[in-house]
Amino acid sequence: MTNSQALRRESPAVGAARTLVPYVVAVLAAFAAVGILLALMGFDVMRAYATILGTSFRTPNGFVQTLIKWVPLVLQALAFTVPLAAGKFNIGGEGQMIVGGIGAAAVGITFSDLPLPLLLPLVMMAGMAFGALWVLGPAWLLYRFNINEILTTVLMNFVAFQLIDFVATSIWPDPAAGHPTTLPIGAGGKLPLLIAHPPLHSGILIAILAAILVYVYTDRTSAGYELLATGANPRASRVYGIKVRRMFFLSLLIGGALAGLAGAIEVSGVHGRLIEGFHSNFLLLGIIVGLIAKGNNAAVPFVALFIAILEVGASAMQRTMAIPGEMVFIVEALILIFVLLTDVVRRR
Amino acid sequence: MNNEPLLELTGINKSFGPVQALKDISLTLRANEIHGLLGGNGAGKTTLMNVLFGLYKPDSGLIKLRGQPVEINAPRDAIELGIGMVHQHFLQVNDFTVAENIVLGTRLPNRPTMDLSGAVEQITELSIRFGLEVNPKAPIAALPMGVRQRVEILKALYRGVEVLILDEPTTHLTPQEVEMLFQSLQLMVAEGMSVVFITHKLREVMAACHTISVLRDGQRMFTRPRDEVTEEMIVRNMVGGDIALEESLLFSEAPEDERTYDRQAQPVLDIQGMRIDGEATALVDSVSLAVRPGEILGIAGVAGNGQQEMVEGILGIRPIAAGAVLFDGQDVSGAATEHILGLGVAYVPQDRQQDGFLPKASIAQNLILGAQRQQPYSSRRGFMNWKAIYTSARSLIAEYSIRAQDPKEPAANLSGGNIQRAMLARAFSRPIRLLIAHNPTSGLDIPSVEFIYSRILDHRQQGGATLLLSENMDELVLLSDRIAVIYEGRIAGILDRSTFDAYEIGRLMSGANDDD
Repeated sequence: MTNSQALRRESPAVGAARTLVPYVVAVLAAFAAVGILLALMGFDVMRAYATILGTSFRTPNGFVQTLIKWVPLVLQALAFTVPLAAGKFNIGGEGQMIVGGIGAAAVGITFSDLPLPLLLPLVMMAGMAFGALWVLGPAWLLYRFNINEILTTVLMNFVAFQLIDFVATSIWPDPAAGHPTTLPIGAGGKLPLLIAHPPLHSGILIAILAAILVYVYTDRTSAGYELLATGANPRASRVYGIKVRRMFFLSLLIGGALAGLAGAIEVSGVHGRLIEGFHSNFLLLGIIVGLIAKGNNAAVPFVALFIAILEVGASAMQRTMAIPGEMVFIVEALILIFVLLTDVVRRR
Repeated sequence: MNNEPLLELTGINKSFGPVQALKDISLTLRANEIHGLLGGNGAGKTTLMNVLFGLYKPDSGLIKLRGQPVEINAPRDAIELGIGMVHQHFLQVNDFTVAENIVLGTRLPNRPTMDLSGAVEQITELSIRFGLEVNPKAPIAALPMGVRQRVEILKALYRGVEVLILDEPTTHLTPQEVEMLFQSLQLMVAEGMSVVFITHKLREVMAACHTISVLRDGQRMFTRPRDEVTEEMIVRNMVGGDIALEESLLFSEAPEDERTYDRQAQPVLDIQGMRIDGEATALVDSVSLAVRPGEILGIAGVAGNGQQEMVEGILGIRPIAAGAVLFDGQDVSGAATEHILGLGVAYVPQDRQQDGFLPKASIAQNLILGAQRQQPYSSRRGFMNWKAIYTSARSLIAEYSIRAQDPKEPAANLSGGNIQRAMLARAFSRPIRLLIAHNPTSGLDIPSVEFIYSRILDHRQQGGATLLLSENMDELVLLSDRIAVIYEGRIAGILDRSTFDAYEIGRLMSGANDDD
């Protein structure tokens, strides 16, 4: 009895170590591999690493940059992991983010005279609603005809690219801009700044709130349990009374709303308007974050922070050392590959 | 009779990580004998035979065929040496005919033309010689399990095997088919072959085998001729010291015949003329059954005769095309599964991996599947109470002897027997009126079977109703108050406990009533 109690008392620490060690190994291995590459290309490896990892902490500006990157990154990651919990792949976060941004801009421009307490919530809600709307088609096709959501969500991205082009050049174009861009949204639709210099918008609070809500939903509620059960074994979940198709549908809609929220925050907090291409590569990075976190919603915010640090460091490295920022892509990809590899190793 | 050793295994050791699955096992197979290999779950029977068939490489040990040491690194080597194996689950190509399945992987004389007439002739000859009746030109998909098994045996014979290993061969067979199989095996060994018969069914071993070996925990307990062995001896060696045979349900000669329950009571479950449509024909047709409080209604039938579909119809997993399902007199046909389970129905599915189990989730999460919205597991506002869930999971793990240290452990670590215990723990973890159990003991060792039987009988004692679907005739006869036989989706007959007779049930299971 004492023996088993001792075991149990020990297990959290051991369990945490068992989870973290593969990550540390994967990160070290990825940096080592890229280090060799950088050395072969004739760069100063240690200085490059110092830039990648240190930029976010050396100056207030770097730190704020990192936080601003973190917001869409964590939302895109959750837009991927929530459907993933139900066993579904939302690869349409890009389109959902764009259309969420369009929704936010549409409301922000149309009702530009409204005061902030009215307009800002409207802008955010429009972003979520439009993001969810963009995944409604794929979700319904999945629900009704069991059509693979990977295909449909990806294809909707391409439609979104055309849609933003149309909105930014034909509906509310800003003739002064040299790039497809809309008019600015009303002042009441912009997220207030938390810090003025360097400017940090309050969207970070919304993202933190969203991450907490997602965690509570998936890990603390019976509806979330049903979502996870569906992902673990849809057949068994159905046998035990869970309406799995409804869970698929719902999970995709939540994912769409989260991606749409990312779009709204970018429009309202960063650009103040809709700019073609504002979705950047957040979808891809979000998927990488979700996969490195292995779908664990509690881990997603932290992994996203780490990736945000790398991303900010990468652009600094490109500026100061003329090392292509894409090198950091290689680091991120290798981390993911090594994390997946440690899984295989552990199973042996 | 020529009793030369045909195949000798000496000092076989095999470990999987820290677990030593086979400990210094030696076994001799002689020509002209059917060798019964008995043992509980994890005793090492299948591992040993997989070593012999070249699927596992032993850590140490020697295999000799006719006195010559041989090396078996792959099933191909085994087949070339004349060793064949029929697995519990058949590996057959559904779209091919019997003959095509049999020749698959052998050298064909006419590869470009695929002319199989020579092979067909040879197969026909073999099937007549050993009493394994099949039509070589029939497509596999259309054949019943019993015939598909014959095909599997013919596959081995066609390749000229001398040692034939059968892994749990009787699972899918009716008593009549089992008898036919035994006759065929006798014909084979009469020609000098050696047959290894792996099973956990005592009675079959006693009926068919010449020599019996018992394994436990990876060790061979004994090898004796059939005449020197008693059932009790086998059980004691299979299970070890921890079973009281006198009190055992499984080995009671005459199970208590006095069974009383109110036959006029309102049925807990009342199925009225249920039909479930398949793609071409009805999978379940005109099924009417009633299960009353304190009654165990057994459903006998060869696997795949509509049992699974019937249960799914009752539970609302599958739509029913006609008829009604009543629970306590209230019509629940067409209701959602969640609603039906909420009325006090527990289901132990046959395919526990597919239909009952969340491998990626923890043991605790598995134990509440289906009850996740009930108190105390979740609050009325829909928040999970993990503390209560873990507390209840810990007591279930203890009560049902599930081999786990902590409820947070991933369920994927559990073995088949422990998963089954978890299924049962889940079923009985809340008050229920009706238990639906489908093959609840398949593949379990004797103590687990005992345990599950006693749980089901307790449930009956407390006035619960049970629908027990099983392919194990002994189990049905032991537990049921009545047995209904299902054949091609219809109820072929219902027998009362006083008129139970394995052969009559077997006759109904094979659809004999259709012909007259």
